[in-house]
Amino acid sequence: MTKIIINGTEVETREGIPVLQAALEMGLNVPHYCYHPGLSVVASCRLCLMEMKMPHPKTGEMGWAPKLMPSCQTPVRDGMEVRFDSEAVKRNQRNCMEFFLLNHPLDCPVCDQAGECLLQDYSYQFGDSTSRMVDPKYVNPKKDLGPKTLLYANRCVMCTRCVRFADEVAGTGELCVTNRGSKAEIDVFPGKALDNPLQGNVVDICPVGCLLDKDFLFKQRVWHLHSGDSICPGCATGCAVRVDQNENVIYRLKPRYNPGVNDWWMCDEGRFGWKYAQDATRLNRVITRRGEAVESLDWAGLPQTVRFRFAEVTAEHGDASIAIVLSPFMACEEAWLVATALRKIAPNAALVLGPVPLREQDEVFPKGATNGDAKFTISKERCPNRRGIERIIGALGGPTLTFAEFSENGGKGEIKGAWISGGYPEKWVDKELAKAADKIEFLVVHDLFASELCAPAEIVIPACPFTERAGSFMNIAGKLQPFEWAVKPADGCKRDGQFLQELAEITGIYQPESVRKLMAKQMPEFAEVAAPPKMPEHQH
Amino acid sequence: MSWKVIDRNAAPDKAEAPVLTDALVEKIRVFLPRYETKRAALLPALHVVQDHFGYVSWQAMQELAELLEINASDVFDVVTFYTYFWTHPRGEKVVTVCRSTACAFMGADSVLDECKKVLGIGEHETTADGKFSLQTEECLATCDHAPCLYVNERCHKHVKPEDVRRIIEDPNNAKLDIERSTLFDGVKGA
Repeated sequence: MTKIIINGTEVETREGIPVLQAALEMGLNVPHYCYHPGLSVVASCRLCLMEMKMPHPKTGEMGWAPKLMPSCQTPVRDGMEVRFDSEAVKRNQRNCMEFFLLNHPLDCPVCDQAGECLLQDYSYQFGDSTSRMVDPKYVNPKKDLGPKTLLYANRCVMCTRCVRFADEVAGTGELCVTNRGSKAEIDVFPGKALDNPLQGNVVDICPVGCLLDKDFLFKQRVWHLHSGDSICPGCATGCAVRVDQNENVIYRLKPRYNPGVNDWWMCDEGRFGWKYAQDATRLNRVITRRGEAVESLDWAGLPQTVRFRFAEVTAEHGDASIAIVLSPFMACEEAWLVATALRKIAPNAALVLGPVPLREQDEVFPKGATNGDAKFTISKERCPNRRGIERIIGALGGPTLTFAEFSENGGKGEIKGAWISGGYPEKWVDKELAKAADKIEFLVVHDLFASELCAPAEIVIPACPFTERAGSFMNIAGKLQPFEWAVKPADGCKRDGQFLQELAEITGIYQPESVRKLMAKQMPEFAEVAAPPKMPEHQH
Repeated sequence: MSWKVIDRNAAPDKAEAPVLTDALVEKIRVFLPRYETKRAALLPALHVVQDHFGYVSWQAMQELAELLEINASDVFDVVTFYTYFWTHPRGEKVVTVCRSTACAFMGADSVLDECKKVLGIGEHETTADGKFSLQTEECLATCDHAPCLYVNERCHKHVKPEDVRRIIEDPNNAKLDIERSTLFDGVKGA
């Protein structure tokens, strides 16, 4: 057990981690810019300097060393004593803050970072209100670093987090520091723009407003944003993300700390790939077809109608002619609710896993890393919950079909009643499925967008994207990760979980935890979800 | 705050033929066995390029990056870190003014201002006729004769602002008193 004394308080910590990390973990607000737990340590910002007790070179007596030490670069050793609350440390923080603001344009009113800016926070908490600078400030031109990112060099504090990220995590090394000293700037080589699949992270780790996301530029002041903790549905990696919205409009996605899964990062496809969730062409009303006539249906009567029609078809053709297609975009709870609701009516209905969009191979970072030292992986499986749906289908037992078999049997007219869940962000209906859908007598489609399935379907139910749902996804490593909704369902839609719970004749408001409790009776692995731990409050 | 944007998506103009000729590449390769990594040979390689062309062009940087198997941005980083390396064509004579403490106390600022006035250019710029370039440098190691000024490798000591015009107009202002050091002229026996 390693114990060290910080500010006179003894804390238990881990041998070898930076003292700064230990201080942050005990809840201390130690200012720092260049230190990031996911990157190498450079100790260049000098904000986190501390006082440390060392033996006197002559007498060997322990005393406060006259020079300040960078706490990010000093590893924890058992019994060491450090302090961050002395006058010398505070004076250093004050001077550093004055130094960081020498060339800063103080353009917070037009800066996207204002409100979540570490220059603002630290200046307020640790800095002085005045600057002794009398000379004119350097003015650097803005740079277009790449298709998605802008650099406003004036605001930079030269922490070089972005440069280290490009070198160490993305492994593409586009970024560099040009010039030296007070004229140093972040730059890329002309024509070799910052354009790797992880580049959006440099905007997140920039502690100030220097690197800016073009997609979010001038869209919203950050203090208006409210966030929901979600899981990115882009691939099977299952990155923990934060959906930032204001008045039910989503503005951006940011990664959440999730050790072992996505750590601090996320890919650009996930970061900018949520736009479909606010697409105006989404399905937004329940439609029913009787012969040629198309009518809108009311949500209130819908569960009963669906159950009644399934019962009719089952009575007519037998329960073996019923199939339930569960999409790998559904949450585990939703899939279980559909399956149990319809199995109650047709106990031998076949469960089918919907098509799993696949790419050729995983994308591993840093570029060229072997699997052992990969820091980030973009999975080739382009859906979030294949594992979860497979577990549920396996645990519920009974007849199952592969998706190809479902299309084939449907095409032969063997399937009389089917529930098809979609929720794919892209076009997903293939020719075989469209052909099968024509032959199915009673088809319910639960999907985000209109497709070839809508015309033959008797009932079309609009689904919600991940930002409007709650539940849990099981990622490629078998980790069951919960997510919550960030925005209210779009007009005309109803939260999937709520509707499916009504379909399964469970009363009350849909709460994923309560559904999981019910699921855990059959499948104990759904009793516990692995929510990512919180980062220390003052870590960034 | 200026809204000028430098577009880094656009690649610099590229010449048809590589600027690093076979002879130059051969000269750089001589340095490779000296170091554990190819990356470490970047500085001597830059010296070779600058000695030959007078500056390191965008294209030379890219070709160096390919030769040493590193990112072009790393070469860009190193070239701009050292003020000794030029990224654009240099004049025949380079006037270097010290910007360190001793010279600053002795009036290097006014010497630099006078240089700018006489030459009609700013720091790190070259006159239109390609004769002179002006730059500042950290300590020129002649603090005992501050403020000092170099024209190419010739040191002018105790420079007063009123001397600047005479020094610059003197045709022999770059003539060395002693022979030039051969330190960077290549590896011995190469």
